[in-house]
Amino acid sequence: MSNAIDQTRRMLSLVTYLRERPGAEVAEVARAFGISERELIADLNVLPMCGTSFRGGDLLDIDTDGERIWWHNVDDVAQPLRLAADEATALLVAARAVAGLPGLRERDRQALTRAVVKIENAAGESAEGSARVGVTFEAEGQVFADIDRALSEGRRIWLRYYSHGRGGMTEREVDPIRLLTEGHTYLDGWCRSSEDRRLFRLDRVAEIKVLDEPADPPRLEPRDLSQGLVNPGADDPEVVVEVGPAGRWVAEYYTHDLAEELPDGGLRITLRSSDPLGLRTLALRLGRDGRIVAPAPLAEQAKAAALAALAGYPEQP
Amino acid sequence: MAIAKAERLMNLALCLMNTRRPLSKRELRESVEAYREAWQSGSEDAFNRMFERDKDDLRELGLVIDVDENTLDGEAGYLARRDRNRLPEIALDAEEAAALSLAAKVWQQARLSGAASGALQKLRAAGVPFTEDAAEGRTALEPYIPVREAAFEPLLIAARDRRPVSFDYRKAGAALTEPRSVEPWALECWRGHWYLAGWDRDRGAVRVFRLSRITGKVRSRSAAFTAPVPEHVDVRAAVAAFAGEGATASATVRLRRGAGFPLRTKALGARQLDGDWDELEIPYGHGLGADLAEYGPDLVVLAPEELRADVIDRLRAVAGLPAQGLAVEGGVR
Repeated sequence: MSNAIDQTRRMLSLVTYLRERPGAEVAEVARAFGISERELIADLNVLPMCGTSFRGGDLLDIDTDGERIWWHNVDDVAQPLRLAADEATALLVAARAVAGLPGLRERDRQALTRAVVKIENAAGESAEGSARVGVTFEAEGQVFADIDRALSEGRRIWLRYYSHGRGGMTEREVDPIRLLTEGHTYLDGWCRSSEDRRLFRLDRVAEIKVLDEPADPPRLEPRDLSQGLVNPGADDPEVVVEVGPAGRWVAEYYTHDLAEELPDGGLRITLRSSDPLGLRTLALRLGRDGRIVAPAPLAEQAKAAALAALAGYPEQP
Repeated sequence: MAIAKAERLMNLALCLMNTRRPLSKRELRESVEAYREAWQSGSEDAFNRMFERDKDDLRELGLVIDVDENTLDGEAGYLARRDRNRLPEIALDAEEAAALSLAAKVWQQARLSGAASGALQKLRAAGVPFTEDAAEGRTALEPYIPVREAAFEPLLIAARDRRPVSFDYRKAGAALTEPRSVEPWALECWRGHWYLAGWDRDRGAVRVFRLSRITGKVRSRSAAFTAPVPEHVDVRAAVAAFAGEGATASATVRLRRGAGFPLRTKALGARQLDGDWDELEIPYGHGLGADLAEYGPDLVVLAPEELRADVIDRLRAVAGLPAQGLAVEGGVR
């Protein structure tokens, strides 16, 4: 149903747009509206069925030869329409979130800040609800700015990076592809050291240098972000974790294939990881709230790490 | 063939915008073909339901539809006044427009991404100059806002319309869900997770809920709020406190050289102990024990005693050893 809503919304703007542009090109209008030419033609097939008067008969005389669009009985009904509450919210929340990102270029931040004020003024009472939704993006401003510069200059970077799973620091050379943010900010890049595409979380970068060498990442498809940033591959090894009620957060933080309810209110979670041993930290964090069931070497490694850690406490038997 | 909904909505919108006097339901039924068909093949009821839904849909799209007495027959009449529906003059320059259209791409959620592109289309139709080559010199960033929680959309609408809601909620660590009745004030996305702040009617207090812990359907009620809505709702501060930030106490740990980068970035103080170990003073807030256990043999808690005992207990559990001393609340699984 939301398709009909979006189409209606688009057609209302379309008549306003066409009014000012006799003979507009189909390709140009489709681009301007962010839709395919097919979708635009579908809209143009509906519009002549729409009348502007309750008495009927005053149908919109809009037609196209497939290349250009003509509106023969232009009507002043086609005025620019006020923003709806959801529209103002969608724009304002997004603009405020991006403007608040540390490391954003000052020029972009200022442009967004000015745009927010203008949209608030134009939206009037429609803008009121936008204060009820907030999004915070976090980034380490200096690291962000360095990567942004490397991206715009097409240069390779060197990182000293903390590996959360392994617990240690690594040094890598990376060809940056882009910066992504969904709360935390990540560098999507081609890691020359592992010859693989990797995501690097900016708050785990201990040191960064923009190198003189040009970046030369292989051509890669953009990531599909609809399922989240970290998507295990289909061939990655399976890990099974059983948690009690207090460990249910695992299902919220880890992309998983399966979460089965257990009788005690806990979950049996099946997930995949390209680096199962990197989940040692998860086992240590869970403590009494859950345990790794499979693979066995991971469970053993967590146990060994816990025993080694206990050796640091002399009061332990 | 039934007339497509978009065509019907478009006809209704144009009729309402193009009239100078309120139009009665009967007049609208006769002038919009889809309504005539629904009325002839269905019933008065079918038409009424369709008309009410369409009116709501157009209002969602931003159309202000006034209901006035129709001077001719005393019936209720509808119209969308031009002056109330016009977008005021808005002078965005190309740079502002470009920044805005980059930001508007953050929404993956269907309702808000539709609304964001609809808003840009309205602005474009109103003459705002969106140009395609404006990416030059911009931050090379792709921001997006994750919305995977089914509860998001009903809560968004309820917070917008100030309607109370009820839902089943599983508190952190709880085995069972509980029904909650809430006046939703604000939604906040922090570190990729959505939270709701509002007035919990049963507890008579402000509460913050994590959307991923809402199970089942969010039901919206038509009643009004009973508690006053504060001017500013700081969801983030409440969540941050729970996440152990803004701690007032501190803890001392021994950390292996080169390990524990995240702890080092937030350390209040650090000194070298010997060739292999450093001593760090770190903020001590909610959940620190679990954070520290993650570092395994790279870290030893020195103080305070209760944190040391907590970490020992966690490590013993992972090592498969029985808990020491008093039974731990919640018991051994």
